[in-house]
Amino acid sequence: MSTAIATKPILDVRNLTKSFVLHNIDGRTVTGLHNVSFTVEPGQHLALAGTSGAGKSTLLRAIYRTYAPSSGEVWFRLSDDSVVNLAQISDPEIVALRGRQIGYVSQFLRAQPRRSVLDLVIRAGVSRGMNVADARELGILSLRRLNIGEQLWDVHTSVLSGGEKQRVNIAAGLISPPRLLLLDEPVSALDPENRESAIQLISELTHQGVAVLAVFHDLDAIARLATQIVVMQKGRIINNGPVDQILPLLHPGDVQP
Amino acid sequence: MSKIVIPDAVLKVSGLGKIYGPITDGAIERTGSHVGTARDYQTGSIVAAWDVNFEVAAGEALGIVGESGSGKSTVLRCIAGDIDSSAGDVRLATFENGESNLLSLDAATRRKMRIDQVSVVYQDPAEGLALGVTAGGNIADPLTAAGWRNFEGIRARARDLLQRTEVPLDRMDDIVRSFSGGMRQRVQIARALANNPRLVLLDEPTTGLDASVAAGVLDLIRGLLEEFELAAIVVSHDFSVIEMLTERCIVMHHGRVVENALTDQLLEDPHHPYSQKLVSAARA
Repeated sequence: MSTAIATKPILDVRNLTKSFVLHNIDGRTVTGLHNVSFTVEPGQHLALAGTSGAGKSTLLRAIYRTYAPSSGEVWFRLSDDSVVNLAQISDPEIVALRGRQIGYVSQFLRAQPRRSVLDLVIRAGVSRGMNVADARELGILSLRRLNIGEQLWDVHTSVLSGGEKQRVNIAAGLISPPRLLLLDEPVSALDPENRESAIQLISELTHQGVAVLAVFHDLDAIARLATQIVVMQKGRIINNGPVDQILPLLHPGDVQP
Repeated sequence: MSKIVIPDAVLKVSGLGKIYGPITDGAIERTGSHVGTARDYQTGSIVAAWDVNFEVAAGEALGIVGESGSGKSTVLRCIAGDIDSSAGDVRLATFENGESNLLSLDAATRRKMRIDQVSVVYQDPAEGLALGVTAGGNIADPLTAAGWRNFEGIRARARDLLQRTEVPLDRMDDIVRSFSGGMRQRVQIARALANNPRLVLLDEPTTGLDASVAAGVLDLIRGLLEEFELAAIVVSHDFSVIEMLTERCIVMHHGRVVENALTDQLLEDPHHPYSQKLVSAARA
């Protein structure tokens, strides 16, 4: 990997603000993000810390365009090294980037009745331009690493436990690593052993140059995965720095969901 | 400049409108979402849809949501040619290179184009199927309309389509009236795919089916849209259907498009007052 590219951020967020106008509740405006600015470089894992309601998930959603940003810019570097403002590009352009260059893994698996575990993971790979054979091979590899045994591969995802769903979700989200990965409490439902495999898998991504922006609800995961920490409070960034500087300042209560 | 590659539009709809009754000056201003009605009080005319614009690419499904009477089925039927439009321009990239407005074709050309390129799956199978005819016969109908003449070829094609849509082959020669609701819908989907359409219009395809049956039909539709790279429009008042099948959608209210959004954004961050009401009602 060339060092020249490594210094250019994959994500450059400038003055991002998100307000919600609630037309049916006396038209009041609620602001979830105030002038948020930060960057994430290739191979950086930026953890978002802050108490419930600090704006962590709002920030992930505003970047992914599940929320439409109200103002500010979200510059994203494409694989051809050009940059686009995710806050401004068209809906079809967002659809084209999602799942391919920008991944999003949340606590919940989107409902897809009658789709088998392996099928779901393979489809995730195919949607990123892999052929079915490669997607199958890599999908099986990730499922094995996340302790989803063969006996579950042809089972419909709707019957899985919460922890199994979460691991299938991670396997599907990571099958062909995107350039930017947004993680919203991806290991919250996992038992210690499975959590360990998931954390291991996520930590390898940063070594592959993926830019990761993540919300975790425990300091241990942050300590093991993050290279940078951004601390949020009431929709604002109140601290941003390398993990060794910020981590000692945090208490378990600062990362509660 | 942006280097994001997006698929070319297969269907382009611009300025589409349908008015029932006399069209008079000011009818558009006197109706719509902001007025709260589609009915022009001066003339009694109904502006069922007006100024509808969107594009759909191959392999993409666009959702149209809104309450009953909002104009969503009207839009679908205008595109299908089931009803005449009052205004607008509808083009298919796969028909005469997108150089012809489908709305101004003569009836015979329009019918031929529809048989070759556009299929509709209706909420009520009785609208899309002849219930007194066998499943095989219902599929043979669009095939013969498209010029198929070989009996064995038609049978083989029908068998293949019924298999894909998971209709037991031993029911192929039974009349559709003897089928359950879910199975009728599968036959309707099989028929819709008969001539390899480029555009499929789905009007409340799972409304009226039991939840488990609906889930199976939805999964089938989703798989077929992906497999055949179809451009599709899905009309539904059910957000779970829209969520499962589409990435983008439009919201209609009193005949007008009031919001145009990514599907997850519409559900999580609806902007228009009517969209907010619709989403919160669906979530309650």
